[in-house]
Amino acid sequence: MDGIRLATISSRMQGICQRMANTLMRTGRSGVLNTAHDFSCCILSFDDSFVAADESLPVHVLSGPDIMARHLRAFHPDLRRGDAFLNNSPYHGCSHPADHTILVPVIDDDGVHRFTVCAKAHQADIGNSRPTTYMATARDVYEEGALIFPGTRVQQDYEDVEDIIRLCELRFRVPQQWRGDYLAMIGAARIGERELLELGAEKGWDELNAFVDEWFDYSEKRMTDAIRSMPSGKVEATTRHDPFPGLPEDGLEIRVRLEIDTHAGIIDIDLTDNPDNLACGLNLTEATAIAGAMTGVFNSIDHTVPPNAGSIRRVRVHLREGCVVGIPRHPYSCSLGTSNICDRLENAVVHAIAQLGNGWGMAECGPLLPPATGVISGTDPRNGEHYVNEIFLFHTAAGASAQADGWLTLTAMGSAGLCLLDSVELDELRFPMRVYRQEIAMDTEGPGRRRGAPGAYVEFGPVDCEMSVAYASDGTLFPAEGVRGGGRAARARQIRRDRNGREHELDACAEVHLEAGEKIVSLTQPGGGYGPPHEREPARVLEDVVEGWISPDRARDTYGVVITGDGDVDHAATQELRQRLSGMLEDRPVSADEEGAR
Amino acid sequence: MRIAVDTGGTFTDLILEDGTGKRFVFKRPTTPDDPVRGIFDALAQAADSRGETVEVLLSQTDTFIHATTRAINAILTGTTARTAFLCTEGHPDTLLFREGGRIEIFNFTVEYPRPYVPRSLTFEVPERISHDGGIVKALDEEAAVDILLGLNDLGVEAIGVCLLFSTINPRHERRLGELIEHHLPDIPCTLSHVVNPTLREYRRASSTCIDASLKPVMSTYLRNLGHTLQATGFAGRFLVVTSRGGVRDGADVAGAPIHAVNSGPAMAPVAGRFFAAAETGADTVVVADTGGTSFDVSLVRNGRIPQTRETWLGQTYRGHMTGFPSIDVRSIGAGGGSIAWVDSGGMLHVGPQSAGAAPGPACYNAGGVRATVTDAALVTGLIDPAFFLGGHMPLDIHAARDAVERDVASPMGTGPERAALSIMEVATENMVQAIENITIHQGVDPRSAVLVAGGGAAGLNAVAIARRLGCRHVIVPTAGAALSAAGSLMAELGDDFSATLPTSSRHFDIGAVNRVLAELAARAAAFVSGPGAGTIAHETTFFAEARYGHQVWEIEVPLRGSRFDSEDDVSRFISDFHDMHEAMFAVRDSHSDVEIIHWHCRVRCRLRGDAGQDSMPTAARDNHARRVVLAGHGAIEASVADFSALATDETLEGPAIIESPFTSIVIDPGVSYFRSTHGSLVITLEAGGDDARASLAARRW
Repeated sequence: MDGIRLATISSRMQGICQRMANTLMRTGRSGVLNTAHDFSCCILSFDDSFVAADESLPVHVLSGPDIMARHLRAFHPDLRRGDAFLNNSPYHGCSHPADHTILVPVIDDDGVHRFTVCAKAHQADIGNSRPTTYMATARDVYEEGALIFPGTRVQQDYEDVEDIIRLCELRFRVPQQWRGDYLAMIGAARIGERELLELGAEKGWDELNAFVDEWFDYSEKRMTDAIRSMPSGKVEATTRHDPFPGLPEDGLEIRVRLEIDTHAGIIDIDLTDNPDNLACGLNLTEATAIAGAMTGVFNSIDHTVPPNAGSIRRVRVHLREGCVVGIPRHPYSCSLGTSNICDRLENAVVHAIAQLGNGWGMAECGPLLPPATGVISGTDPRNGEHYVNEIFLFHTAAGASAQADGWLTLTAMGSAGLCLLDSVELDELRFPMRVYRQEIAMDTEGPGRRRGAPGAYVEFGPVDCEMSVAYASDGTLFPAEGVRGGGRAARARQIRRDRNGREHELDACAEVHLEAGEKIVSLTQPGGGYGPPHEREPARVLEDVVEGWISPDRARDTYGVVITGDGDVDHAATQELRQRLSGMLEDRPVSADEEGAR
Repeated sequence: MRIAVDTGGTFTDLILEDGTGKRFVFKRPTTPDDPVRGIFDALAQAADSRGETVEVLLSQTDTFIHATTRAINAILTGTTARTAFLCTEGHPDTLLFREGGRIEIFNFTVEYPRPYVPRSLTFEVPERISHDGGIVKALDEEAAVDILLGLNDLGVEAIGVCLLFSTINPRHERRLGELIEHHLPDIPCTLSHVVNPTLREYRRASSTCIDASLKPVMSTYLRNLGHTLQATGFAGRFLVVTSRGGVRDGADVAGAPIHAVNSGPAMAPVAGRFFAAAETGADTVVVADTGGTSFDVSLVRNGRIPQTRETWLGQTYRGHMTGFPSIDVRSIGAGGGSIAWVDSGGMLHVGPQSAGAAPGPACYNAGGVRATVTDAALVTGLIDPAFFLGGHMPLDIHAARDAVERDVASPMGTGPERAALSIMEVATENMVQAIENITIHQGVDPRSAVLVAGGGAAGLNAVAIARRLGCRHVIVPTAGAALSAAGSLMAELGDDFSATLPTSSRHFDIGAVNRVLAELAARAAAFVSGPGAGTIAHETTFFAEARYGHQVWEIEVPLRGSRFDSEDDVSRFISDFHDMHEAMFAVRDSHSDVEIIHWHCRVRCRLRGDAGQDSMPTAARDNHARRVVLAGHGAIEASVADFSALATDETLEGPAIIESPFTSIVIDPGVSYFRSTHGSLVITLEAGGDDARASLAARRW
């Protein structure tokens, strides 16, 4: 092992990914790219192994780019410098069709394929049959309507293949926005290509190959060490997605069988005991089924273990073909392949790990797509132009870890908090809308020794026009659960407020049409708690009361902390109350932990 | 005579420029409990060196320029004023949610940061203005007054007001300001459209509340310092360095203290620009300032110093963004004190942990036992243990060697010299990555830039960094050990006036734009005839913040004039935007609409004339040779010379170590150097290998 080569070249690789990502973010056009950070940049070895990524969405990179690169070489054995390829095929390694991915082979001066760089970004529109990239109701890929590219050459000799560009421009809504995002991805990939060519010229390709091998061995060792510090055991966890169109009436149960073998340093995750593909857009892709399971693992271990093909060798994920949490069969739709079921999968994994020992795993997080982060569309009366874009108002979702309260702006486990939130001023300038209120919703958090993030209350609507809002708000029926005695979160809700101020409860998954003057209220899903609430330090509970996160009643009833009239903790009363609360827990036939584990 | 004082975290640097243009550097420890004492310690040292009293020295001083970490320290130690935040009804959590974002995606052990102003001191004011400035809901003055009267009971000491779209229609904010002045005349207040007229409510609210919270502490501090200087004989102009790399009158900064938040590091690129222009005529510069714990990088691009609004107090996404335009300075935890360690997988790391000044590197023998960059430099012979800080602080080579052996060499299965070399290499690589991130961010090719290296630890690997970046020239100014203070002396009096007027290339509203530009020009003219009266010369430049349609991040594009006279002017500006975008991001979208959001007028008044000259205290050591270990060369004999003993303008060739009381500069074999008439060490690398890299890079797609 050459510790110096590892340090310097891994730092170079990381730097290259950062600069690709910076280019993509600063030049992207759609909100989902430049604000929500719904993109990723990574480097793959010549034989398709994942080497390095920017701080990217884990579900984009932990698996997927490797599969896409493999298909790329199979489809195009004649890779040449100057080529670029587009892949968004859920059947060929892409995460879901909205994630357009540009793959550029890095070819040295002798024509040898050395690396592949990959820039992936969620598009504002991909030509679906409805103006949203999240087609929950699509029975199949035909009804979904997206153009599917399984690794199609879009540049040759550094020039666009105009046939493909024209095809896209005719099909995608707001084509100039797509074109801008396409250029941003190409720009990012080309920067990665240029810098890798320079690195190869400077260090020599043999040296880089030797680095890649060592880097994987090093990362595998780090992962083995991390697993060896965990408790061994075999556990099963289930979670249930809300009943959406196309899902069973009582929702969809997801089952994870997880085994940690600390002696062998292996984590084994079996996802095969799950239902067959469903006639809706919620099926996972091969990429997201693997990456979702991996995300749960990486969230639960020493965070300094580098994620790449080496560390991943120690995590085995078993998938089944034709399974909703597995390898999808054409033409089943995977329109929401990165969000709903994938979020449930990630949560089930951290939940399972939490069952193995105190201090490990996490509480569950809320899902990604409430109306507060829905896709809005319509025609702007100020300029007559059509718009369709995902907005990012306040959204929280984070479950607690054993060490920290839920990170307020996580917005779902899969998005890892990378998502930036919109400026109200910018949104109102760009779209004919008004944001009437957004703030945290008191007493909604999953309580615990470490508590989940509370939900957000968000109210907005169109100004002087109509507007469609598409969303898929899982957690409306089955909210995020706590772990190890931590409590479950409040449910998500969505409400239409008509022009007379009357409230109408909305479905969990819908495309809602708002008339001028109407508003939509989104109560986003909070996160679950970790550990018993009555073990939370009274000073933290007091701060939550003073700051308006929880009410004094909730402090008393749920956390067992009594607060005096002048705003201090009544320690004697608190101690007495907490003794009663913990006694009550011991008397219960089913412990909160078991209940949390369902 | 002019004096610049930079109160840093560890040292208070003072540079005195005498009547003949000669500059002298002094360094005293900072006294955090009362920073004014540290300033007077440094003044005493300076006066001493001239055989004068501080009174006599100050009475001859016409300008006193001060850079201070007072503001940032108050924020980091939580000693700012108890501040209330007044916001638009319905939007109380702007400071809590910030703009989202997170680092270290798999790290769930970190708590979410508290808002800059707690929710319990945040108040929703019934009012609403729309995106075009229309009044959706009139300000409810009665409710507002109720809120204000309630603040008295809460012990509030400052108030920040940020209402939605106040930059487009400031009527409600102004009225609230009047009500505060009437009902709470003793409580300082900041209005967002005044302090930082920009879109994006979080950034504006953040600057507003930071500014308000600093007003009591900064006005007290600056008033005290000003009075003490006057009482000690100073009758000149008292200026304070701003985050934008200019200087403003002390009283102005006390009234808008957010200008001083990044006061310290903002001056390094000003100094870098000055030295690069004086020595090589270059106008594109990478400025690296290496201290004991942090490595600060900044840039000069075509003579301009790029700014950013994304300056974080604390870690990115884990602290607060000031949202206030500031010189773009990137900091990483890397310096002489950075700790070297080997992880369980066998990979070497350098930093981000630092031994700091206390306990310090192992070789200080002051309690630190872990191997650091300074220890590695000692083991490889780059530093002379007997001549550190001019011999004032003998170092323990054995302690350094033991630490490197134990922490790095033995886990890596190698010898101490090879391990020390590796530590230097990794430290260099970390610094290069920090530089490449900012150069690509700002669209600068480091190969076309001159590297200016400042700070006590800069000379150890400045040549190695330049080699990695492909820079041909490195300049190490004598005053580089106090780069920020040196920059303060070169600084210009300035201000930046801005307005928000969204327009686009397709519907470019020439009339409205020209009205805005004329108004900005008038404000600039008032500055020139006000604070700028009596300066040597002034320059007014205009620029716009623009983006492609649907983008959300603007870039700065200079205007060619002060107004648009024709459609051709507009076309030229749009074409300049495309060029700038392509230079920064390698992407050009000629067919796309361009949106322009903000308009700026920047005014700079020159306070000084020629370049002057750095003077170096002589150490009078004879030239000798020393064994050093260098990457790519192994163990070699290098000649060791005292900086002050170098003949001016005589070109020499490495291997060499040039030592001064402040730093030790390593010159690789084959690299040439000379001491310039201005007192800097100018180093030239052979282009050879780098030309190949450059031609490779030129082969674009």
